[in-house]
Amino acid sequence: MLIEFKNIFVEREGRLILGDLSLSLSERRIGIMGPNGSGKSTFIRLINGLLLPKTGQICVDGLDTRLEVEKIRRKVGFVFQNPDNQIVFPIVSEDIEFGLKRRIPEPKMRHQRMLEALDQLGVLHLQDRSIHTLSGGERQLVALAGVLATTPEILVFDEPTTQLDLRLRNRFEQHLSALPQPALIVSHDLELMRTMDRVLVIVEGRLAFDGVPADATAWYRTHCG
Amino acid sequence: MGSFYFPGDSWLHRTAAGVKLLLLMLAGAGLMWVHDWRILLLVLLGVLLLVQQSGARLQQVWLYLKTLSWLVIILILYTAFAQTPLGALEVGLRIYALLLGALLVSMTTSIAQMMEVLIWLLRPFHQLGWVNSERVALVFGLTLRLIPELTVQWQDIREAQAARGLKANPFTMGVPMLLRTLRRAQDIADALDARQ
Repeated sequence: MLIEFKNIFVEREGRLILGDLSLSLSERRIGIMGPNGSGKSTFIRLINGLLLPKTGQICVDGLDTRLEVEKIRRKVGFVFQNPDNQIVFPIVSEDIEFGLKRRIPEPKMRHQRMLEALDQLGVLHLQDRSIHTLSGGERQLVALAGVLATTPEILVFDEPTTQLDLRLRNRFEQHLSALPQPALIVSHDLELMRTMDRVLVIVEGRLAFDGVPADATAWYRTHCG
Repeated sequence: MGSFYFPGDSWLHRTAAGVKLLLLMLAGAGLMWVHDWRILLLVLLGVLLLVQQSGARLQQVWLYLKTLSWLVIILILYTAFAQTPLGALEVGLRIYALLLGALLVSMTTSIAQMMEVLIWLLRPFHQLGWVNSERVALVFGLTLRLIPELTVQWQDIREAQAARGLKANPFTMGVPMLLRTLRRAQDIADALDARQ
């Protein structure tokens, strides 16, 4: 899976959010770091067409986000920072099946896929639970199961470990390493960044560093610490 | 605070959502014509039996009913004063039977099932091209889902302002509530778009 950013500029209300961005992403695990408000979330929202650039072109597996956003969204699974925004229905099974409605019209097959996705993350026991009774970590896993159920070809995570305690954060890291799909992960978690194949550092809307995790985290500590 | 629905395998859970909603509507209309307190009492006991059969915990049911009880009590007292004590008894029994019936439907019918009923009801209008039935059903489902969360959000803002020594007033509460609700709506819209 190849993601290409070609001469990207993003502006909001006259303010530059991302500028002069050209790069190709094909590694299995790509981390994105940067100070708050630097444009990291904007960067990943460009990948599935949630945001469109002012100028330039983004292609995911050869598909242009301006022209073929529906096809791209079927390929790209997006896990948001706050699972409460991602989980629409009050019961776990109901929410995951809702996300599959367009892809799998047959209710029994939808149900089966929902069970498989929960089982993949070891949270099958949560299927009948109300979202309101789940812990933050469990909600994060349910949100991830909802995305995995759609069998995406690539995963995008927006600060997935922010709301997790150390135990759940470690568990998330294990799940992440077991997932077969390529993944892009925005995070401030330097430990997590060390497990990546490539790390981008975005500062004030510009790609400030692009390299292997050890160099990227060292650069980040020196310039943004 | 979440939705009233709890997953289960009782015959009430398995009954089609459309049938339950239709029966609730007919019961609502029918009970208005019943003026015998003994029949109303029997209906109330019947609904209680159904609640028990649904597998719901009676303690939880009482918690839900308790929040509305002050309103029912005011209505009963008003009726006793304006009409007769027997009339007040009828009003009380009728309202509790209907409240319990509505609660029973809510507890045994998921939002997704209710949305399916709405899509079915709107199908003729959808075919005429007047409405997008799936979109209307989604708005309905999201509204049901988010009402309890807005209550929590309101309490959060109230607590944050109380911690700063501010008294509640419509402006200081309304503005952050509006901003947070708009922000949340945008986040949910993004998440729905991403799940296309």
